[in-house]
Amino acid sequence: MMTMGRAAQRPLKGETMKQVYGAAALAAMLAATPALAQKTTLIVGMQTQDAGVLDPHINSGTPGKALLNWMFNGLVRIKPGQLSPDAMEPDIAESWTSSPDGKEWTFKLRQGVQCHHDNGEFTAEDAAYSLKRAATKDSSAFSSDYSAFDKIEATDKYTVKVTLKQAIPTLLGQVMNYHGGNMVCKKAAEALGKDGFAKKPAGTGPFMFAEYVPQQYIKLVANPKYFRGEPKLKEIIYRFIPSDAARDLAFQAGEIDMMIGRQEQAWVDRLSATPGVKVVAFGPAEMSVLHLNMSQPPLDNIKVRQAIAHAIDRNGIWQFRGKNISRPAVSVVPSGYFGTHETAPLLPHDLNKAKELLKEAGHPNGITIKAIHTTLPGMMSFMEAAQAQLKRAGITLDITPVEHPTFHQQIRQDLSQIVHFQAARFPVADVYLTQFFHSKSIVKTPSAVTNFSHCDVADAEIEAARSEQDKAKQVALWKTAQEKIIAKICAVPVNEMLMLWAYKDSLDLGYELKGSLNLGPPILETTRFTK
Amino acid sequence: MAAFLIKRLGFSVLTLFAVLTLVFVVVRIAPGDPAQVILGDQADAAAIAAMRARLGIDRPMIDQYTSFLFGAARGDWGVSLVTGRPVIQEIIDVLPWTIELTLLSMVIGAAIGIPAGVWAAVHRNRMPDYVARLASLLGLSFPPFVSAILLLIVFSLMLRWFPVISANRSTPWAWFQSIMLPALNLGLIMAAYITRVTRSAMLEVMQEDYVRTARAKGVPWPVIVWRHALRNALIPIITIVGLYLGILIGNSVLTEIVFNRPGLGKLIVGALSQRDYPMLQGMMVIYTFIVVLVNMLTDIAYAFVDPRVKLS
Repeated sequence: MMTMGRAAQRPLKGETMKQVYGAAALAAMLAATPALAQKTTLIVGMQTQDAGVLDPHINSGTPGKALLNWMFNGLVRIKPGQLSPDAMEPDIAESWTSSPDGKEWTFKLRQGVQCHHDNGEFTAEDAAYSLKRAATKDSSAFSSDYSAFDKIEATDKYTVKVTLKQAIPTLLGQVMNYHGGNMVCKKAAEALGKDGFAKKPAGTGPFMFAEYVPQQYIKLVANPKYFRGEPKLKEIIYRFIPSDAARDLAFQAGEIDMMIGRQEQAWVDRLSATPGVKVVAFGPAEMSVLHLNMSQPPLDNIKVRQAIAHAIDRNGIWQFRGKNISRPAVSVVPSGYFGTHETAPLLPHDLNKAKELLKEAGHPNGITIKAIHTTLPGMMSFMEAAQAQLKRAGITLDITPVEHPTFHQQIRQDLSQIVHFQAARFPVADVYLTQFFHSKSIVKTPSAVTNFSHCDVADAEIEAARSEQDKAKQVALWKTAQEKIIAKICAVPVNEMLMLWAYKDSLDLGYELKGSLNLGPPILETTRFTK
Repeated sequence: MAAFLIKRLGFSVLTLFAVLTLVFVVVRIAPGDPAQVILGDQADAAAIAAMRARLGIDRPMIDQYTSFLFGAARGDWGVSLVTGRPVIQEIIDVLPWTIELTLLSMVIGAAIGIPAGVWAAVHRNRMPDYVARLASLLGLSFPPFVSAILLLIVFSLMLRWFPVISANRSTPWAWFQSIMLPALNLGLIMAAYITRVTRSAMLEVMQEDYVRTARAKGVPWPVIVWRHALRNALIPIITIVGLYLGILIGNSVLTEIVFNRPGLGKLIVGALSQRDYPMLQGMMVIYTFIVVLVNMLTDIAYAFVDPRVKLS
């Protein structure tokens, strides 16, 4: 210390001065480096040509949902990173109450929540407008979810009241930041119109729409007025990279920080072994189910359907699809949903039994069943594995491969005897049971959704459970419904595929990611790069 | 020349009209419902019907056809069913990307293919000829998406010379870096075609009497090859370049996807998978227009290269 002090008192010569200035400049640079190097732009690679219509009440595709989730809030939300509706917490609404019969719900909104792009404060008026918009089939793809809604009123500036025709099990699910529950700002939606709003969406979330570059990316910027505080990330570039190989290469080259993965075990193994990379597999899992069309022979014979159920080896397909990225199905509702019968009596794999049942059904030499199927590689490989397993029992699956949109149209026209459908839904048993196994959802009917099997054995239980206020009784009704559907073999649930994403481990999401209903990791105001 | 152009333009208009009608019918015959694609797999029948009405695809076919034709005549090609943006705008946004890629690929193809073909022809059945033939065979048989991935692994990942996401025009250098690999990928395939055509055209021309005469007169060998022989071999080369230009735009689909560049190829794949009728119609018209235009330019180029060709 003394020496330095003495040195500092002496006048320094030119060369020494240079060294000191140089050292000082270097020290200043080093000191500044962490701040300068701190990345504030997150670049995400998504498997899509385009994100589609940027309207949360219309867009139900994976690429759109993940992106819209960063821009919009609901009245409530499932805790970030969680999947269970039990983890519900306030979002724009700071509190809520419901009447004892579950028909009246009152939500108290936070004050001072600001709409994006200077569209003013978000009030009860906006919330009521948004819910009505979601319930209108002209402006929403999810209007049927709101069929039980009777009245939606803004009773004062910060209070919204929802009155239902009958109690439903998923009310909070319909006002959360998912599908129709995403809150849009009335002023922007009205001023821009349906088509205009989709080009410049305005919500209240941590990030707001900034730019759309066709075929390249959508840019979001931080919302400085976000009610939970200004986001640490300054912008998100959401790149459309449809090619799996190109996305992987861009990630390896460091051009993107986060990407959706391929549903392949090899992809997980390779990325997991790469230093500095975090791979996450999370729910909701998409369940692969073989829906058996009971309205047509030979599948109108229960023995044939039982033979198919016995011929399918769920564990075999689980191994085939990948141990870390999938799991065997447990019921006709995916595991982990509220109301799933986790120990449902699914028929075990038994080839001899399958052959015996076929013989009893009058097909001692086996049968041929026709299936229309999408050419999407992941789904097709599953179907080919199922085809090989069925073949061992003497069941020939004659697959007609068609392009994905054709598949979706033709299976809804009742043209396929077996329909392989892979889907995740809001994690309450009612949604899966209603869409796939209630008679109102049978394809080719005016209220059709995705009941391909023409199943109608559990209508009474599904309907009764919907308005049952006693949770235990409600779960019991769903359990009975699942047992009836399984006994009738309306469908053969096979396995569940998890969502896969990878990101640089320097990205701190700000929460533990175990699930995300919107199929992409939530990016919050606290999400940041650590270096 | 003017009469030729008017006649060709007349034919082109007829071709476009036929294409418009064909395209209108074909995109609608293909199964798949745009409303279903937009709304996703959870939408019920009522929501799908409402969306079909909103998109105007529930109207009688003849009604849709007449409004499509009148719209096309006015330059209004409708609005994309998926993005809600005008089709013409979507196309204009990406057209320059495809044009620059195609032209640069063509230049690379010609710059490599013509000298290689000449070189192979003058060294017929010797080592240079074998090398050029083998290389062109490889170029023809290599799927463009495989060569694209290989180029990316070597030049983007290992050497770090070029970006993987090849769509940056912020500076001239960034533009150059972005376009080089995709253009090389397409250009090498084109070079393979041109090498083969140039070689066979040159071999034919080299047998001609005037070449022998020139040699007998003592004209220097390079002058014989490059000025006399190559000029006469250019007609088939121009034909193949013209033909291939149309194919090149088609081949650019996979290149654009792998290099993640915007372009017509990517646009048409998206429109197809989403059953975006107006976009598909617009795209087909643009493709037809480009092919017609290229054919016309090829005809004109003949006259410039060979004075014996008259445009009439």
